Amino acid sequence: MIRLNNISKHLGAFNLKNISVNIAKNEYFIILGPTGTGKTVILELIAGMYLPDGGEIWINGENVTYKYPEERGIGFVYQDYMLFPHLTVEDNILFGLKIKKVSRELMRMRRDEITDMLGIKTLLRRYPTTLSGGEQQRVAIARALITRPRVLLLDEPLSALDPRSRELFRQELKNIHQQIKTTTIHVTHDFNEALVLADRVGVMNEGEMVQIGIPEEVFQKPDSEFVARFVGIDNIYEGEIVARGEDKWVALDNHLLRVDSNLNGKVRVTIRPEDIIIAREAKAGNVYNAVKGIIVAIIPQGSSYKIVLDAGISIVALVTRQTAGELYLQEGQPVWAVFKAGAVHTF
Amino acid sequence: MKQQTVLSEKEGGGQGGDEPAAGQGRGSFKIRNRLFQSLVGLIILILFIFILTALANIIWKGSAGLFSSLASAEIRFAIRLSLLTSITSTLICLVVALPVAYGLERFRFFGQGFISVLLEIPLSLPPLVSGVALLLLFGNTEFGKVLAAKGLQFVFSVNGIILAQFFIIVPYMVRVLRSTFADVNPRLEFVARTLGCSQWGAFCRITMPLAGNGIVAGLVISWARAIGEFGCALMVAGATRMKTETLPVALFLNMSIGNLDMAMAAATCLIAISVTALLVFEILGKRNKRDSRVSLKLE
Repeated sequence: MIRLNNISKHLGAFNLKNISVNIAKNEYFIILGPTGTGKTVILELIAGMYLPDGGEIWINGENVTYKYPEERGIGFVYQDYMLFPHLTVEDNILFGLKIKKVSRELMRMRRDEITDMLGIKTLLRRYPTTLSGGEQQRVAIARALITRPRVLLLDEPLSALDPRSRELFRQELKNIHQQIKTTTIHVTHDFNEALVLADRVGVMNEGEMVQIGIPEEVFQKPDSEFVARFVGIDNIYEGEIVARGEDKWVALDNHLLRVDSNLNGKVRVTIRPEDIIIAREAKAGNVYNAVKGIIVAIIPQGSSYKIVLDAGISIVALVTRQTAGELYLQEGQPVWAVFKAGAVHTF
Repeated sequence: MKQQTVLSEKEGGGQGGDEPAAGQGRGSFKIRNRLFQSLVGLIILILFIFILTALANIIWKGSAGLFSSLASAEIRFAIRLSLLTSITSTLICLVVALPVAYGLERFRFFGQGFISVLLEIPLSLPPLVSGVALLLLFGNTEFGKVLAAKGLQFVFSVNGIILAQFFIIVPYMVRVLRSTFADVNPRLEFVARTLGCSQWGAFCRITMPLAGNGIVAGLVISWARAIGEFGCALMVAGATRMKTETLPVALFLNMSIGNLDMAMAAATCLIAISVTALLVFEILGKRNKRDSRVSLKLE
């Protein structure tokens, strides 16, 4: 297990502040945040490239804060792979084992095992510069995993791949982790990677870890405006909780919405665009909210449309192409935005 | 000249395609651009002819008596001494420059900027001044006497030539090697260390092999400078016929007594060495772009 204890580091433009996180054995932990927020620096601190200004790093119950990188048992895969250009793929992969002076049989066994798993057996005689991005990626992962590291650090492992290979390789990373179960810390700015891969995710903003949780939880219930925006929630409002009898409501502008919340007073309210249904008629019932508004924009987004409503407040909803077609949605039309009380998240 | 026509073709094509709106002024642009290109081309040509004639002249004058001169004991001695001293000083220089260049490039320490500048001073110092400095340090001082007592006599000796050459070429070598090391991504070393390499191991297994081209380029360019070194070596070791007579000294001594054949033979040898070194450096530089930038800085 990995424990970061109040880590701070000032390095050039990056300023990491009091990062504390416990990562369980065999956990797949994703550090999520926009570019330039110091995510790679965290990995390099864990691996020992720099000394932290303050705080401690523990790996499997051992304080490694002042240990050399070579003593930490780390597997590191950089975004641009950092394969040794003067060595063949095989020598790259075997590098760590050769340093450890492992016996030839064991070397061969581990090599075959890892190259089979990653499907790179045919590349062994080639040089890194002749490989595609995806192939280099596999070789870099093989090189890191063959030493059986205590923790695998992945720095934006998918960002250099084209969208199709990215999706495939994302799935493959999941399979690899299920097979090998090495504790993994993966850095990315893509929330989808977190949803598919992560056991837990830590969201970074300006050098601070602002929220840690399982991906669905962070996705549904962000606890700050930054996280809400980062995970793609367009509907963020300020409101006030009003209790009426058994029910709780939240007042936004001149709307009163049903809400499940144990907060009181002034709150922030978020509603995920995909939780909102666009309808011609208001839906009745005491679990639904319905807000009437005028369509001000219809923005195509791949297989769906983003519908922007003006209802005093601006409401963004995501509808499928099929729904949009069936409803003959057009700009300027009045429609209802319908969503469950449970979709209204407050913090 | 050939290059110039290629350039102007490209220029004309680009202009016509990208900016049809500038059609009106195109005639005058064309004349002005042609004029500019011709001017640049002309100056390049003049400089080229100037240097070519200067060098060709030596070879022209030297070629007549070249073989008889090369057969003479004096020139053979000079060639042998030049090779011995320059190869020795270059190798010593490499041993020193490797760690210095690596340290200055990779480590961060107090006074680094100052040390870095100081080490480069001999680059811009007149060689005679360097020579005086060495003479003062190794001459009639306690330090010099102690070394002389141990059998390391530098003043007016072959050792002095090696010392002078070393002093002159070490900053060149450090410069080339620094830019070579700067070209090797430190993260490669770091990855090697996460795989279990010590710092020393990562240096030997990753950085050194990747710096290979740059090291050879540094060796060649430093060696060429060492073999041509005159002013500094003259100060420290003097110019004694058949004793401290390297090729440049042979050129100087024979010139001063009017023995043109011998002087030209020595000069021709030096030109041949320079041209070879430059060619090797350029070829290696092409393989490694950063090195060619260095060659621009140095030449």
